[in-house]
Amino acid sequence: MENGTISYTQLLREDLGIFRVTPDDGVPDFKAGQFLTLGLPLESKIVNRAYSIASSPENKKFFEFVIRWVRRPLPGRLTSLLFNAKEGDKISWAKPAGNLTINDTLANGEKDSRRIVCIGGGTGLAPFVSFAQHLHDTNDKREIVVLHGASYVDELSYKQLLTDLENESIDKGKDKWNFKYRAAISRPEEWTNRAWHGHKGRIEQFLRSNDAGKSPLEELVGEKITAENTMFYVCGWQGTIDGTMDYLKNKNFVTEKNKREDGSYEVKFESYG
Amino acid sequence: MGMAEEIITEPNYEKLCSNIINSSEHIRFAGFVNDKSKILHSSERDNLDPLLSDHEIGMSIHYTLERWRKAQNFTFRLGKERLTFTEYDQVTLVTIPFKGKLLLVSTEPRIHYDPIIEKINSILTDWEKL
Repeated sequence: MENGTISYTQLLREDLGIFRVTPDDGVPDFKAGQFLTLGLPLESKIVNRAYSIASSPENKKFFEFVIRWVRRPLPGRLTSLLFNAKEGDKISWAKPAGNLTINDTLANGEKDSRRIVCIGGGTGLAPFVSFAQHLHDTNDKREIVVLHGASYVDELSYKQLLTDLENESIDKGKDKWNFKYRAAISRPEEWTNRAWHGHKGRIEQFLRSNDAGKSPLEELVGEKITAENTMFYVCGWQGTIDGTMDYLKNKNFVTEKNKREDGSYEVKFESYG
Repeated sequence: MGMAEEIITEPNYEKLCSNIINSSEHIRFAGFVNDKSKILHSSERDNLDPLLSDHEIGMSIHYTLERWRKAQNFTFRLGKERLTFTEYDQVTLVTIPFKGKLLLVSTEPRIHYDPIIEKINSILTDWEKL
């Protein structure tokens, strides 16, 4: 394990926070969408846990994470330690790993120019915050859509950053930076969400066709979503993955884990539950 | 051999609320909410001036559910939450978890609560026996 420092903490809610870790020897190369294993001492042992990295590989100052403190049925050990940690506390980390990374080439070796649709449930948004910043910083010309699902409006952890990225897309023009961000709130009837006027329901419902045969996602991008023009990346609870695949499998979308004989697929996912 | 199926019967919230309201003259209100703040049913005693506006009722339910959710973070140490009281000058709010829902009861303040709670628990237990 390498050494670093918790350089920034920001609580968004009692159980949701943004954490930055500054490595002692600098941020190593990694790919957008990967995770990092963090470690903190507990009773003379080191407790480890992996978290998706929300910062981009181009950010060489720190790793950033958005982390939910799940406490039921039992509080997570490392996450509890993180939420008790102070800025300046030392922390250990292992090298970045994980396969939920952006495909730049197709199975046949050609450049992948398909639209990228990212579906993040809760803190499953983290890899796509990394995606968005990386694709922006590397001047990628693909169309990118980030969809974030949350129960409450105060869980829309990167609303400002992603809205700014969309506004930049509008200002610059799609030919220079083509980015859209939408969120869905699954408990719209709750008091905290009373002023929410965006999409209501589960995030994967962006893929559900309306009576006219168009899904909200298709209305957003202005064309039919097909396996030929769109690549999906999904991260969240297994229910989010399953819900997404319920819509996509009927449209001949195939996941990386069940790729075709020629190696092609259109859905990459990672579940954390 | 077929698998045994568990038959889940939703409580008759209307009847439960009615029974609870009628169990004590000190009870002003009884209602059930689910964990998404939806009021499944509620009953109020007739001819009482409301203490909260509709907007404030929504806010009050939100605070109650927030507190309930947070209290459940100690279930692994302390066991299930059974009851809470909040006594204001003008009213006392009682919450009792019931089958994944929350029973909200308001009573007059500064009364002897034990017999009221016993009656409510008896009504809830009687339903569970059905």
